[in-house]
Amino acid sequence: MNQSNEMVIQTDGLSKAFGPVHALKSLNLRVPQHSIFGFLGPNGAGKTTTMKLLLGLIRPTSGGGTVFGQDIVRDSIAIRSRIGYLPQQPRFGDEMSAREMLHFTAGFFFRGPKAGIEERVDETLALVGLADKADRPIKGFSGGERQRLGIAQAQVNYPDLLILDEPTAALDPMGRRDVLEVMERLRAHTTIFYSTHILDDVQRVSDTVAILNHGELVAQGPIEDLLAGGDKPVYTLSLKGDARLALARIEALPWVSGVREVAHNGFVTWEISVTDDQAAEAQLLGHVLAGEALTVVEFSRKKFELEEIFMSIVEGGTDGR
Amino acid sequence: MVANTELQRVELSGWRTGLANLLGKENRAWWASRRWLVHSVLWTVIVNGMVAATVFLLAPRAGQDPLGIGIEMLFKFGGMALAIGTVVLVHDATIGERQLGVTEWLLSKPVSRPAYVLSKLLAHGRAVLVILVGLQGALGYGLLSLIIGEPLPLPPFVVGMAGLAVNTLFYLALTLMLGVLTANRIALLGASLGVALIGFLAVPLGSTVSTFVMLTPFALIHVLPTAVLGLPLPLSIWVPISITAVLSVIFVAVTLARFERLEF
Repeated sequence: MNQSNEMVIQTDGLSKAFGPVHALKSLNLRVPQHSIFGFLGPNGAGKTTTMKLLLGLIRPTSGGGTVFGQDIVRDSIAIRSRIGYLPQQPRFGDEMSAREMLHFTAGFFFRGPKAGIEERVDETLALVGLADKADRPIKGFSGGERQRLGIAQAQVNYPDLLILDEPTAALDPMGRRDVLEVMERLRAHTTIFYSTHILDDVQRVSDTVAILNHGELVAQGPIEDLLAGGDKPVYTLSLKGDARLALARIEALPWVSGVREVAHNGFVTWEISVTDDQAAEAQLLGHVLAGEALTVVEFSRKKFELEEIFMSIVEGGTDGR
Repeated sequence: MVANTELQRVELSGWRTGLANLLGKENRAWWASRRWLVHSVLWTVIVNGMVAATVFLLAPRAGQDPLGIGIEMLFKFGGMALAIGTVVLVHDATIGERQLGVTEWLLSKPVSRPAYVLSKLLAHGRAVLVILVGLQGALGYGLLSLIIGEPLPLPPFVVGMAGLAVNTLFYLALTLMLGVLTANRIALLGASLGVALIGFLAVPLGSTVSTFVMLTPFALIHVLPTAVLGLPLPLSIWVPISITAVLSVIFVAVTLARFERLEF
């Protein structure tokens, strides 16, 4: 299987302008199969625009993309037959009950047998915890119940790809937990591409993330890589003893791009930014311990919090403008 | 757990993809609730209530021919009322769903855009033809036959009903078209009702309907009573009926073309 076959979503130079406003600028996105892909960015970054482009609800100004290897403009209906979508503010026809709405949704994908569809609707209602409210009109549902029904309708067709626009935004902490659990359960069967502002959720369930800012993709990759600093790794080193000469030695190393002292409580702690993580892991301690009698208290690659990375990208220089 | 493979998948069928399911939903909204009953009673009171009041109460006092004024009321006043009713009933079909985000949701499913438009047209077309035109026509026929004490000649009445049906579908197509050309409910209602009212008021009342006016869709409800009574007209009744029908088809074509380009 080649790389493009492993990618459920692949966009190349995908762009969208609404009049003078460039909502999305040359997006090159890669969403691997069976990933829970967190799509992050501040309001107005272009997340919903991207999702609508993938669904054929809007047309690209330039560039293009594929979902399951099919063109997002030419093959839109075929793509949508394998997708489940939860809009940001789901509205589904309030006069129907939850069961009727799911039957109606299933009708776009399945023509029978009737008992099988009924069973599938019941399973879906149970999955999102709405079995006891199945026959109540949707207009009486709370925001959280609507959101759960939205997830139910999005996956009633066993989609190969779930696109969820802010799935936990309207939920209380328990509702959020339930939705994240549903997403984790679905991971084995489908790829989930979702946008959110809640970085804790992303860190909890996502395996791959992309960060969008001002319509441009500013970071993309496995979350472990991103949390490890990506291509700008940082190592934390704590030492006991007089470390002044050691500091001079490591600052002189060609693959050390910066050293920052973060604490001095009986021992010194540095955050050392490097350009070559292999050299750092193989040689850094050797250089530090080459002279004075120093004791290494801690040496590890720094694990960032997603919020730290997100804020540094969005507020820092890499703002895509 | 029911397996995905046990369920029979719907085949994608080009422009018809999703049509049957959408049409089922629209039809259920009309016929699986009390909506059809409410509108049947409402329009019976408005249209045939007015016809009955005119022929039984006003015509004898004014010394007018009850059949003539009854036919005038059914086809001219009734035609106008049904046009306004159609606009009011149908305007929400596209614009309301667009504003709420329901259209966006529906189009995220395997649904072709023509299927979405056609489901609205066919379901609402069937409802207005049955409840607004068919039922009111049948009741009106009974009422008018009661006045003359024998069945009204059927062929001219059927021609009149065909004209009434085309007139009602014209306003249905116009409202759907405006519903995709604008996202503003007031603009849509203003334009649709404006066309109906201006047409009704602009065409001269009475006996002098000119050849020119007969080439517009506005003439239709003005000339239908004359045709049903078998009186002479400057042109065949089929001329305004055909023109109105052709314009309706053009409106549907514009709706389909425009909806294909809309972004949600």
